[in-house]
Amino acid sequence: METATATRAPPSWATRLAALLQRRSVLPTLLLIPVLVFFIIWNTMPTLWLLGLSFYRFSLTSGRPPRFTGFGNFQSILQDSEVWLALSRTFLFVFSAVGIETVLGLLLGLLFWGSQRLPGRRVALTMLFTPMVLTPVAAGTFWRLIYDPTFGVLNAALRGIGLPSVNFLGNARTAFGAVLAVDVWMWTPFMVLMTLAALASVPKAELEAAEIDRLSWLQRLRLVILHHGKFILLLGILLRTIDAFKTMDLIYDMTFGGPGSTTELVAIMLYRRAFEVFAMGWSSALAVILLLISIAFTATFIFVLHARERRSQDVPT
Amino acid sequence: MRALRTHLYHALLWAVALLFFAPVAWIVLSSFKTADQILAVPPTLFFRPTLANYVRVLSNPNIVSGFGNSLILSCSSVLIAVAVSFLAAFSFSRFKPRGTAFLMFLLLSIRMLPGSAAILPVYLMYVGLGWKDTYFGVILFYAMFSVPFSVWILKGFIDGVSPRFDETGLVNGAGWFRIMTRLIFPQVMPGVIAALIFNFIFVWNEFLFNYIIGGPRTANIPTALATGLYSGGGVDWTFVSVTTTLYIVPPILVVFLFQRYLLVGMTFGTVRGEV
Repeated sequence: METATATRAPPSWATRLAALLQRRSVLPTLLLIPVLVFFIIWNTMPTLWLLGLSFYRFSLTSGRPPRFTGFGNFQSILQDSEVWLALSRTFLFVFSAVGIETVLGLLLGLLFWGSQRLPGRRVALTMLFTPMVLTPVAAGTFWRLIYDPTFGVLNAALRGIGLPSVNFLGNARTAFGAVLAVDVWMWTPFMVLMTLAALASVPKAELEAAEIDRLSWLQRLRLVILHHGKFILLLGILLRTIDAFKTMDLIYDMTFGGPGSTTELVAIMLYRRAFEVFAMGWSSALAVILLLISIAFTATFIFVLHARERRSQDVPT
Repeated sequence: MRALRTHLYHALLWAVALLFFAPVAWIVLSSFKTADQILAVPPTLFFRPTLANYVRVLSNPNIVSGFGNSLILSCSSVLIAVAVSFLAAFSFSRFKPRGTAFLMFLLLSIRMLPGSAAILPVYLMYVGLGWKDTYFGVILFYAMFSVPFSVWILKGFIDGVSPRFDETGLVNGAGWFRIMTRLIFPQVMPGVIAALIFNFIFVWNEFLFNYIIGGPRTANIPTALATGLYSGGGVDWTFVSVTTTLYIVPPILVVFLFQRYLLVGMTFGTVRGEV
């Protein structure tokens, strides 16, 4: 109010502040302050804490103060065969889940390519995409009922065609596959979505040219569709890989990592050691290792993004 | 002949969609069954629907407060995150301060970390500071976790708005704040919507963080579901199916109403287009 009336008077602190805030040297930083505050309090500080704690022996249940052990935790992790098993199980899970989802997603995406005139297309696509927005806890819990050896609908179907019932989640031989199948059910729609996006990025003119040139179906797929769509597909595969690596609630609610430890992925292992056993020092060290792996994933993702930007700058449009 | 082929093709597409939806349909169907019918051998497809489960679950105070908490946590954290991210994304996009690439990288790497690794240090910090099971603590943590996603999406969209708009605004005497809110914001609405709905779905479905840094006061439905599962020596399936059925309505509605934004949302804004 004061600044509006006092035109002749020397500029008040408010106008001077306003002018300062508009300056190009101050504004960019000013806009970043809220995010930086968030970042420092909820990310940098905890991460530093984590790093520090990974060098200590610290259990919340013992009541003893943390004791410095140097690289002791890391050493015990690297020598722990269970950790290596969980890691290799995780990579097997990621590899097979992403592989199956990519192939299925590609096929279904190609199938849905010409679906523009499908009656009720929007409802059909909503149904197809529903699994990926489902609450993982709810999905995992309910699949337990579907897989149940006596009450489950899946075993009822098996018995219906004369096969013996299978305790899918309780049997060490089938549990991993059963859990994998649920992940495939949940995330294949994502790869369908990415395939549809990739197909939409193919220029119509080139497809028509390919048709006139009488390229075979396979040639068309390889030379035209994959050539234009491979970037989007690659991003989809990368995002899915990162997400599969993080899988936790879905499996935890189905099997709690069991039977034995046949479905214990590394994220579940970390959860159990940290929040069931409360071995905080050891868990921090494992979390640091996972952090390094995630940073490698992120770097790959960004590298792929930039590779495309560089290429699209080279080619004049 | 051609018409028949089209019909067959369309029938096949619907069959695929229904196949993926079947487990969800089974949950919804079960919510109208009695406890005995859910565990019937063989499973029943035709039965007299009952609403008794809904009455029972909705009179459970834990579930009512769970729904309230889910709504409070997801709405407030997402609004905070998108507001804060818009400012940062504008700064990154327009002024490219030093370290932009590095900060964008750091932001993304938080989201790529397995949840149990991300929450571990925050849990220790919250126990130390006494922030566990406070709305303040849980909401702001969710907001922080929603920031990377939002910054990435919004930066992409603001990059797509020509700087000429800023120049025109400056020449006509508008301040930067006015330019951001009146000139740029309306043009990046699709990005804002995508960021809002995808963070909403994330927080809405999130279990681990809520379970670890929340508590009885701030428990959302996934936590209530995971902890209230067992009653009388077994899993209470009517409770699970009713709660799930009610809880998945908003995400399904979002997918139906905002199908155009699905792609942008699920790829951090790195892929755009219609499907």
